[in-house]
Order: sequence, then structure tokens, then C-alpha cells
Amino acid sequence: MPERTIDFGKYGAQGIKGHEAVARQLDALADFIASPVTTRRGLMARLHYLTRTPHARAAAHDAGLTVTDRTLKAWLAGTRSPTRQNLARIDAAYRTVRRHNVARYLLARLNRTGRGTRVEIHPLNQSGVHSSRQRVVEFRTLNIRRWEAIIGAWSSGDDRALDEAWIEQIVDLGSQWGQYEYVTNIGFAA
Amino acid sequence: MSDFDAIDSLLASLTPQSALPEARVRRGLRERAGLSKAQLARTLGVSPSTVTGWETGRDPSGELRTKYAYLLEGLAAKLAPSAPQPADEATAPPSALDENTTSPAPGPAADDDMDDVEALAAPEPCVLCGQPARHQVAGFPQHLDPAQCATTAPAPDTSTQQMGGRTAKPVKAAPAGRRATTASDADPSGPIAAAVAEALEAHEGDVEAATAALVKRAIPDAMALLDDCRRGGRYAIVAHPWIPDILRKQSARGADQIWEARPKWTRPGLPAGRHEVTALDINGAYLSALKTHLPLGQLEHSTGNVHDRRRAGVYLITPPAWEHGAYLPNPIGNRDEPGPLWVTEPTLRLLLRLSGPKYGLCEPPEIHESFTSGATESLLEKFRIALKDARDTALADGDEVTLEYVKAMYSKFVSTMGESNYNRELYRPDWMHLIRSQAFANLWAKALKAHDAGLTVVRVMGTDELHVVGDWRRVFPEGRGVSEVKVKDVYAAGTAPTDPAAAGHTDEN
Repeated sequence: MPERTIDFGKYGAQGIKGHEAVARQLDALADFIASPVTTRRGLMARLHYLTRTPHARAAAHDAGLTVTDRTLKAWLAGTRSPTRQNLARIDAAYRTVRRHNVARYLLARLNRTGRGTRVEIHPLNQSGVHSSRQRVVEFRTLNIRRWEAIIGAWSSGDDRALDEAWIEQIVDLGSQWGQYEYVTNIGFAA
Repeated sequence: MSDFDAIDSLLASLTPQSALPEARVRRGLRERAGLSKAQLARTLGVSPSTVTGWETGRDPSGELRTKYAYLLEGLAAKLAPSAPQPADEATAPPSALDENTTSPAPGPAADDDMDDVEALAAPEPCVLCGQPARHQVAGFPQHLDPAQCATTAPAPDTSTQQMGGRTAKPVKAAPAGRRATTASDADPSGPIAAAVAEALEAHEGDVEAATAALVKRAIPDAMALLDDCRRGGRYAIVAHPWIPDILRKQSARGADQIWEARPKWTRPGLPAGRHEVTALDINGAYLSALKTHLPLGQLEHSTGNVHDRRRAGVYLITPPAWEHGAYLPNPIGNRDEPGPLWVTEPTLRLLLRLSGPKYGLCEPPEIHESFTSGATESLLEKFRIALKDARDTALADGDEVTLEYVKAMYSKFVSTMGESNYNRELYRPDWMHLIRSQAFANLWAKALKAHDAGLTVVRVMGTDELHVVGDWRRVFPEGRGVSEVKVKDVYAAGTAPTDPAAAGHTDEN
């Protein structure tokens, strides 16, 4: 049993990488602004979030929103509206800053003063695999006590580090952890 | 001459041999200050076991001794004014513990063999059982003795002994390797009674304040009770499965595509003459509906007109035509749009039953596709019975606080088990829809029962409202139990409504 899947989906299995599912769940817990950035409401909400304080402005600048204060002011006043590229930048900066701001609290809730959080791992979808090639992959749960590496990688948007941090945790599933490199869903509460 | 300098400095370092207090006093000082051995060891740059050594008789020397003496002196100076009070605290058992707990033993017995074990000045919640613990291991507060973890669960309330029947079942022996059975394991309504007693005590008998406090904590309490009831169960509760798009809300405030078949039906015309209509209320409709076929795992897609009785989920069906609308509501509710719709297991089973040879009321529905999983009817059964027993006891005792608490527990449990931010422990919109549909199907079955018994069904509304004309007491027992009905209202209806209350209630004429 190889630990890392080499050619995933060759026989029709469907799934996503475990760390992507984790990032998805963490994003769901981070409660981003629901309105899309293309609507005026969504844009204004993001701009307000990114410009409320000098600290937030600095964070937005670091996250890639490198426009002048004059431009920001014009956007906020509604006299000018951002270009499509800038809309994407605003959204990306908002996500980065929000993740960074939420990370501390999410970490405390997930670590739960050392008790950790129970994580459900839903195995990959084998419905497209020929029955002779299907394998028994069970639903598994895992209690993760240390979330520092996962949250750190997620908040800095570092996919590779998140993958490594996640694999570091799921090796605790035992010798079959390679079966859970790709999953349909990772679920946990915070 | 550097040799002499070195000797001088050596002599200088030797001379102020700091006085250290007695070993026992050192330990007492640290504990009263609420410092752990690990903290202290980190500050001094030694290992925790070294600190253990110092506190059991060994003496540090050199620079460390000076530092340690300075630290102890500082602690003594800090603690001096309030010295008598912590001493009391250390000897008296903390109030949060009940009498089952063996007295806190900050004695040396535990500490001699384990380096990481620390005594805590103030009890902190145990990471294993949540009850106050007096020790910590490697920084995590917990009970040292597993038996203590078990016995700190709330003491069984005397009221539970009054319950007959179901709760009197023998206590199952715990499988080897598990933690010892707690009081709440043998008696699942224990936590409810304990929570109520605690709230009443905290609010000094103020019923309203206690009820409000209990209702506020109903969701986490229901989840804790669910966990309690699932201990030793055959199936684990899968709380965060992958959810198909039809079960996802389209927008933050929008709805998903599932049709729950909520009844909203008023009889189009009454028989001639004036009638006295009784509005009946089904007690604990959602509580009874917790008994339904719930899909256990992840929902799997399938197509074709087949229904597997061992599975449950949601189905895209074309509902059959309903020709009995003049005297019985349509089992799929009043749907205005024609065409296929997503219904849940209870609605489908109701339709299949009604299309069967026993009833023959409609054609069978046509199933196009489905998302289902292996199902069991007993997943929430212990949970339901625990709540029902608590409710029955509360009714017998006239205990309105428990009644409100139990009601908040099951109703909020059902309403927040989907995509709710108030309950993130459970993310099963499918269960939420199934349980609601089961409540509606149960109400529909009651309407059919009334109709079969010769009553005139006038209106079927919402979750628990059934308006009938006729002698309903021979069909439904009256009361507040879950198998009984309650009279909500009695009004006149018919050809000439006279009083304004009746006019408000009738749509016909």
C-alpha cells in the first residue's frame, strides 16, 4: 500500500485532497462575508473590513491590496468602482486578512485547552470504480489535539505546509493512512 | 594572578548561603501561589523533577539556590497577607464537588512517582470528564484516579426513582476497557434533573430566571445528552457528512430544495348546519418524530423507481394525484407547483403505504432519483426516551421548569441540527428535514384515524394542529402525554357564524 497516491482517479475514484477539505471546512468556520464581491453590498462590506483601522489598512496592504489611499477613498465613496482585477485583489486580501484575524480564536476553540477536536474523515467516493477494483475504505474519526501547524498554514495560505501538517496528523490513523489522502469530506466543529 | 581572582569570586559566591525554608513549606508556597512545577522549573531553568526533589528534601546549591531562595521569599511576601484563607481552601473540600467525590488529596502519594503531576490551588475542569479536578498532568487539569472521573458525575436525582417501566431496566455491565459506568449512564434523565436542580439553586428558586437560563443552554445540553445516550450504541453519529447540493441552502436566508410536506389544509365545505369544532393540539410532535428512519452515513446517489426499506434519505418523486381533498388533506401538503419534487423518507413511506392494498387511496409515487444511506429507526431512540421520561415525570410532578427545558431541548435540537451557527456539532440538514416530515406524517396519520373513526376533519395545520367535529374523546385520549391530545380551542362553525372568534377561524362560506 503506497502511502501517497500516485495516480489518483485512474480507476474512477473521486475525491479531493485531505488538506483541501480541511481548508474548506476552516473557511466555512471563518464565516466570510456571504455576498459576492461583485455586488455593491459585498464590495462595501469587504472594503469597510479592510479599512476600518490603520492596522487593518496595513494588513490589507501586506495582503496585496497595494492601492493608494486616494483610490480606496474613491471606492468607499462610490465615485469610482474597482476594475475586475482589483475586485479579485480586494477579495483575496479580504480572505487573507480575515483568515489571519480569525486564526487565533479558531485555534483556541479547536485545541479546547488540550482536549482537541474530533475530526470525521469521510472516505473517497468509489461509485465510479469497477466493482472488482473497489476496496473497503471505512469512515474514520480522529481526535486532533494540536492544531497550531494546520491553522498556521491555513491562515498564511500555504498549501504545501497545510498538506504536510495534515499528513502529519493523519498518520495517526495507522498504516492505512494513505487511503485517506483523498477524501470526500472532512468534518469538524469549532 | 587570575587564579586568585577566580578563588575570590568562588569564595564570594559561597558566602551568601541563602536560607531556604523547609521542604514542605517550599511546596506549600508554590501551590498556594497557583504555580505549577513546570512553570517554576521553566523559570529557573531546571527540569520539573528537580523541583520535585527540592520539595521533598533535597537542597539546591550555588546560583540556583540563590534564585530559588529569592523566588520563595517573594512568594512568601506575596502570600503573607492572605495566608490563612488559602490554607482553609486547601483543607476544605471545594464547594463545586459533590459528596461522592473522595476528598481532594493534594498529599504526597500521587506526586512521588509522577514528575508531571501538579496539585492545583483552585480546582479546574478535568479534561477527561469536565468535573473540577485538583491536579494537573503536564499542564492539563485532570483527575488522577479514573474512579474519581466517574464518580464526579451528577448524583442521580430522587425523582427518577418515581418513574416506572422503561427506566427501571437493568443496568448493563460496561464492556472491559471502558471507563466505569457513570450515574448518567444508568439513568439518562439524570443530567436533565441535575441541570434543573442546579439552575433552580443558582437562581434561588426563581422559576422564571431558572427557566430562562435553562432554555439558553438547551442546545449544548441536548448535544451532551445525545452523546450520553449514544454510549455503547451500535452506530456512531456521523455529524459532518458530505451533503448533496439539493440539501444546501441556495443563499444565507434561502431554503434548500426539500419539500417537507407541511400540511396546511382546510376542509373546502362543511356539512350543512352549525358544528362545534374542537382544535386539538398534538403534544410533543417533534419529540415523537425523533423516532424515524434516519440515514446513518453519507448519502449516496441512485436512480430508478426503487425503494429499499433498509435505506432512508431524500427522493425526487412525481406525486400521485389526490382525489380525496374534500375530506382528507393531501399527504404531500398543499403544493401549488406541479411536477417532480424532492421529498423525504417519511413522506415517501406514507405515500407508499397509502397506495398499498390496505388503503388504496392513491397511485404509487414515481421515484426518479434519490440520495440515501443505510438507515435505522433507533438512532435517536434512547435520546427520545430520556427526554420523554423526563417530560412524563415533570408532568406528574407539575414541574413546569423541567417541562420547558425538555421542550427547548428537543425543539432546538431539531431546528439547529442542520446548517445552524447555534449548533455546529451536528451538520445534518437531511435529519432535520426527515424529523420534521415525520412529525407532519404523524399528524396526517392522526387525521386519517379521525376520519376513519367517523369524525369530520375540518383543518390540519402546521406540526400539531388538528380541528375536528364530533366526539373526538372516543378516538384520542385527552391529556398532556405524547400519545394524548390537548384541546386548544373550541369554536362554532357552519352556515351562520355568530361570534367573532369563530369567524376568524373559519375560511369556508
